[in-house]
Amino acid sequence: MTSSRRPATSPAGRVAARGTGGRGSPVPFLLPALLIVFAVLIFPIVFSFVVSMFDWPLSAGGGARVFVGVDNYKALVRDLEFWNSLKLQLGFIFIAIPLEILLGLAAALLLNREFQGGKVVRALILLPVFFLPVVSGMTWRFMLQPRYGALNNFLLALGAPEITWLGHPTFAYAAVIVQDIWRMWPFVFMLLYAGLAGIPTDVLEAAEIDGATFWKRLLRVILPLMYPTILTALLLRIIDALRIFSEVYVMTEGGPGMATTLFSLYTHRQAFGYMKVGMSSAMAIFLLVISIAFAVTLVRKNMSLERLEDQGGSR
Amino acid sequence: MKTRIRLFALVSLAIAISVVGLSCAPKKEVAKAMEPRSINVLLWDDPYPKALAEMLPEFTKATNITVNIEMLQPPQVLTKTAVSVTDTATDYDVVGIDEGNVPVFASLLLPFDQWAKGTVYPKTDPASITPKMYSIGTWNGVQLGVPINGNLYVWMTRKDLIENPTYRSQFKAKHGYDLGVPKTFKELLEMGTFFYENDIAAGFGPFNGGPAGVLSEAVFMWESFGTKFIDYTGGTFKVVLDEGKAVEGMEFYKKLMAISPKGAETMAHVERQAAFAADPKGVFSMFIWPAQIAAYEDPAKSLVAGKIAYSAPPAGPRGQAAVTGAWAIAIPKASKNKEAAAEFVYWWSSKAIADRLVQANTIPARTESLTDPAYASSKPQLAALAESMKVAASRPRFKEIGQVQDVVKKYWVQGITGAMPAKDAIQMIVKETNDILKKAGY
Repeated sequence: MTSSRRPATSPAGRVAARGTGGRGSPVPFLLPALLIVFAVLIFPIVFSFVVSMFDWPLSAGGGARVFVGVDNYKALVRDLEFWNSLKLQLGFIFIAIPLEILLGLAAALLLNREFQGGKVVRALILLPVFFLPVVSGMTWRFMLQPRYGALNNFLLALGAPEITWLGHPTFAYAAVIVQDIWRMWPFVFMLLYAGLAGIPTDVLEAAEIDGATFWKRLLRVILPLMYPTILTALLLRIIDALRIFSEVYVMTEGGPGMATTLFSLYTHRQAFGYMKVGMSSAMAIFLLVISIAFAVTLVRKNMSLERLEDQGGSR
Repeated sequence: MKTRIRLFALVSLAIAISVVGLSCAPKKEVAKAMEPRSINVLLWDDPYPKALAEMLPEFTKATNITVNIEMLQPPQVLTKTAVSVTDTATDYDVVGIDEGNVPVFASLLLPFDQWAKGTVYPKTDPASITPKMYSIGTWNGVQLGVPINGNLYVWMTRKDLIENPTYRSQFKAKHGYDLGVPKTFKELLEMGTFFYENDIAAGFGPFNGGPAGVLSEAVFMWESFGTKFIDYTGGTFKVVLDEGKAVEGMEFYKKLMAISPKGAETMAHVERQAAFAADPKGVFSMFIWPAQIAAYEDPAKSLVAGKIAYSAPPAGPRGQAAVTGAWAIAIPKASKNKEAAAEFVYWWSSKAIADRLVQANTIPARTESLTDPAYASSKPQLAALAESMKVAASRPRFKEIGQVQDVVKKYWVQGITGAMPAKDAIQMIVKETNDILKKAGY
């Protein structure tokens, strides 16, 4: 039997230009998927962008709205609270995520072996990921309550003074970060553990036979081979962290003062506190641009690594 | 002859049908009004609407109107109203609007004079509403909702503490006067400090939860120290805060914070209730929204039920001030069930229901129920409420209030916690509020 089957992709990774040998355009087959993508992805973005060009008070009930062009963006740039919220959001990302990666990596290295109860331990570690963000926020809020919270009771038993964790700007910000690390490091662990398990054992064994110490194996073999996985974990966590909202909202409501009013909370405040949908949408677009910048940078880095690997280079 | 008889019979029949038909017409209207209907109602979550919800079956039985009540925390009520009520469609036929937000949603609400008259219950008489509360349902001179609760600052003091003979003698020996319900800020601070320093109870319970709560406390202090925050003068809103008096108010609050429970910087209603009513030591004295008294007087939930003395707030150097925090009940213009919605509000604001709400330890806005001598002895908070009404003070109300609240919250919290000098905090409040007002075109 002869076959007209051809590879779907060329060696360079490009999709074959003319389908699989049949006649006609593939567009009708793609159309349903394209329509869904347009409806759930493109349209909301375009709509948000259009709304960001309007002065649209939500309290007008969809009524009065005035086209203001880029005025909302100009107003944002002049708004000190906007920059403060952006600073808090980026600080949150740059503190929480590296720590999550470190913890996840350490745990993955530690648990990447067979031992009695290993499967149970690995499963239990994942528990915080399954907490609803709201529940996590509430739990931490009560744990950090100065009078009857678990943490202060523990510290008091050790003779330490009562601390108002969520009443102090720095402590409250730190608490929000710690809460996120507690909830999300197992997610990073899960990804890195999978990446680690995928490293060929013969490579590790060869390094060991060559006399490489643990640190040398980690730095020269394991980490380079896990780089794409780490980048993927980083990308997923950054995008997720940019959207963090509910746990912070129930933990601190952005307070004390505006100390934990992250970008997402300030966006919400613009829409439902100040009733300024246009400003809120402008902030959403701003967040989208930041997300895309992160995503493009990390994806390109990942792709360049793959190309390098295809060309036989080393990382 | 037969023809005449037939004609007579036909005419008689026609007249009879007409008479019967005409006499039946109003009945048909009533019958139509009594057809099963249902309305959706969005309210805030506290003991007051909960007490009302228990009475709903009676309303449904009397009117055939089913009421689906959704209760949310106040900030969520605002959010939900903002997204669910528009000028052309609404998910709710009746909405509870926090007094500060009446101007925000004014354009979406049906003016009260356009509400249908009631079929079963008479239309609410504005004169029946406590005068100090009446204005909270109006904006630009138009009544948009029926003020439904007489919520304003009432002061709570622990009777068991001030009546304790040991504490009384110790306090008198130190300060030369008797322990009691604090009548002035000086007394509040001295008594509070006495209980705090002797590790008997926290001296004060601040309210720092959420921007609206912080603004309440700031206005309470400023009014007590003799200055208004924002005033409507010359056809526009202006910041009229006297810096010296405002700083004094903030500094005094800072002293109260020092005798407050741990976590005072972020104390919202839940934490205040836990500190006052569930902590074995508790709190000596603090304000309460009367709508929440039921929870404090419930022996199943409160360690201090029956041990609370109610009064008007203590006086600052320039007098007393009781901040209002009432809700208005409004009907969105876009409601498809305006008649049923109005019927529900008329029932809710009726004397019979108001009386029963008083008995359930809640505070309706109806004067005759609040001042009914029958409840004076069993509901001591009513006398306190009447006293507070005399010194009622409202927070500023205009569309940009959300932004102003955030500014006040940001700097007030910094000022009272010492993160920023009080003078700087007040100056920043004035500056940034002026910026908001200017930008809004005032």
